[in-house]
Amino acid sequence: MRELIMVRYGEIYLKGLNRPYFQNLLLSRVKNAVKPFGGQTVLHDSRIYVRGMTDVEACIQALTRVFGVHSVCPAIEMGKDDFEAICQQALHLMEGLEGTFKVYARRADKRYPMDSPMINAQLGGYILSRRPDLRVDIRTPDHALNVEIRDYAYLYVRVYPGPGGMPVGSNGRAALLLSGGIDSPVAGYMIAKRGVSLCAVHFHSFPYTGERSKQKVLDLARILSGYCGGMRVYVVPFTELQMRIHEQCPEDYTTLIMRRYMMRIAQRIAQKERAQALITGESIGQVASQTMSALACTDQVVAGPVFRPLIGFDKSEIIAYAERIGTYETSCLPYEDCCTVFTPRHPVTQPKPDKTEQAEQKMGDVEALMEAAVENAEVIDL
Amino acid sequence: MKVYLDNSATTRPGDQAIEAMRSAMTDGYFNPSALYAPALAAEKDMDRCREQIRAVLHAAQGQVTFTSGGTEADNLAIAGSLLGRRPGGKVLYTAGEHPAVLESCKAMADQGFEAVPIPLGPDGLLDLQQLDSLLSKDTRLICVMQVNNETGAIQPLEAVAKLRDRRCPQALLHVDGVQGFLRHHCPVQLWGIDSYALSAHKIHGPKGVGALWTGSRVRLTPILHGGGQEQGIRSGTENTPGIAGLSAAIAAYPAHHDMRALKLRLYERIRAGIPGVSINGPAPEGADAADHILNLSFAPVRAETMLHALEAEGVYVGNGSACSSRKGRHSHVLTAMGLPAARIESAIRFSLAPDLHMEQIDYAAQAVIRSYGLLKAYTRR
Repeated sequence: MRELIMVRYGEIYLKGLNRPYFQNLLLSRVKNAVKPFGGQTVLHDSRIYVRGMTDVEACIQALTRVFGVHSVCPAIEMGKDDFEAICQQALHLMEGLEGTFKVYARRADKRYPMDSPMINAQLGGYILSRRPDLRVDIRTPDHALNVEIRDYAYLYVRVYPGPGGMPVGSNGRAALLLSGGIDSPVAGYMIAKRGVSLCAVHFHSFPYTGERSKQKVLDLARILSGYCGGMRVYVVPFTELQMRIHEQCPEDYTTLIMRRYMMRIAQRIAQKERAQALITGESIGQVASQTMSALACTDQVVAGPVFRPLIGFDKSEIIAYAERIGTYETSCLPYEDCCTVFTPRHPVTQPKPDKTEQAEQKMGDVEALMEAAVENAEVIDL
Repeated sequence: MKVYLDNSATTRPGDQAIEAMRSAMTDGYFNPSALYAPALAAEKDMDRCREQIRAVLHAAQGQVTFTSGGTEADNLAIAGSLLGRRPGGKVLYTAGEHPAVLESCKAMADQGFEAVPIPLGPDGLLDLQQLDSLLSKDTRLICVMQVNNETGAIQPLEAVAKLRDRRCPQALLHVDGVQGFLRHHCPVQLWGIDSYALSAHKIHGPKGVGALWTGSRVRLTPILHGGGQEQGIRSGTENTPGIAGLSAAIAAYPAHHDMRALKLRLYERIRAGIPGVSINGPAPEGADAADHILNLSFAPVRAETMLHALEAEGVYVGNGSACSSRKGRHSHVLTAMGLPAARIESAIRFSLAPDLHMEQIDYAAQAVIRSYGLLKAYTRR
């Protein structure tokens, strides 16, 4: 008998001929998450088993953050031939639990002499006879006692839900525009959850923003990398371009033009990183630069797809999501961020594409400035 | 060149203080409450520090209680003199008090006392006439800081005490001396102050240690309970290394220094380069302006931007006070002085130390002028 962690996966279960590819990718993500705890991972019988880890609780916590994982269960693995021993172990697992329960038997090994209903009945009876305080409820039990009969018998009561989604790396790579606000980390999380590996691009406007606002962004990236297993962050020096915009462009267009330059630079970094798309945290109408006309105007300067997973979310929904993934508190630290430094009094909400281009032309040749921004970006691997 | 001008946030511990702390940990690590001889030596070291503090405050009598810092000393003075007593009556505090006092007084409002702010004038000094109108027979406690940590305004403590004696002699007068201790004269007994809080890390000592002096009229109720150290007023094994550091810092603080002259030079240089600069607080050359604090506004350049630009030049300054700069709110001190938002948002605090040189001051002034010249055109419109 030994303790192990059983990792169950969701969506990739449905894949056809490609399933081994996804399974192996998930296995490598799980191995990565388990590495600090020294466990061995094995893929077997459509489950990933983790054995021999040093800190079970911390290991479970790490596993519930791996995209592609449906649920994580600390389980007991034991010989299946001695049913009495299974019953005793099950009784042991139920210690300290109160209320109602139900036995869920699953007999994957069809040669096993007892079928699932028989296991349910006998095991349930055994527990009831020794724990008269418990009651059986087969519809909405407080506790589900799971028994799986495979090469061994597996018993577990606790089930921790995973994040779902697909293993990171199974769906390409994208560059996230990470500001330090509430929205962009959530947007990155949502796309990474679909199996996309991330790199992040942050625009830094020293001296308008300081070391603390940069640290805040790195802290956010670190939280995200807990889910997506590492991330490269580009901190782009953006002050000179912002100053040029501020000097040369009509005030009401400055934010929009700044957004367009951010997209242009992010696109160049995406190319370097072989990322196929950009991700932003924009939501229709949230601020002036996120009206539909403004978004269209921003998109004009980008060749590839721009993913905006929060496009239909209200702020309150985004906040709830941020709280759930653990980025909200960090996002709320009060340092200036690059977007608010030069906020115009009345930013344009219905920009005209031709007018935007005319305004940009006033800046003269900024190719050198853009090139310098990309070249001088600080690269931090998390 | 590196110029540290944020000495009101904290100071660099002096070599003597560091050495005293090291020695208190390696040789003098005994618990002062133990019965053997080396423990007695540790206790004597603490008593020597109490004497030093009394000497600085020109107090022949009174009790010195060591705390974990200025904040705890203020909390102890306010909560310790009111809680467990008959509730009711007023607790007055100047609107520009440090949060350690401000929040402690506001907390007393939940305990049946009335917390009332004393308005500040546009120069950051409390208005004695306004104070006069607030004092009444039911005033229990008046909190007035010696030197304001943001503006450097030296409050008229002697006059406040006289007014108290005339209008409500029963009221206690607590002084937060964290910024003023050692830097400005404060004879607590002569002036009629009842309690005085100080902190080691503002005077080139270590963080995590402070003290509260209390005169004979104060009966403190402990706010921390435990082993009954510090005559039952402040339980917890005494921070002997911290106290040794505080003691050495007091001993090492120079009797003569040029901070006032350096501050005035900094101001003159900056004003020559930036004629539009405005002073937040009393006129720098006046007797009611602290030697070591200069608060200036560089509108339209936001304080945070100016701070980072100066940081890039190796000059470290404060925006508002360190305690409030992480909360992203406007300075309550400058707001209480009635300053316009643009001035509050662009306020930079320069705070000096005795070991600064003229070259450093001149370099800092140049850096300010240079940064301002660069940034003034690039601000939010």
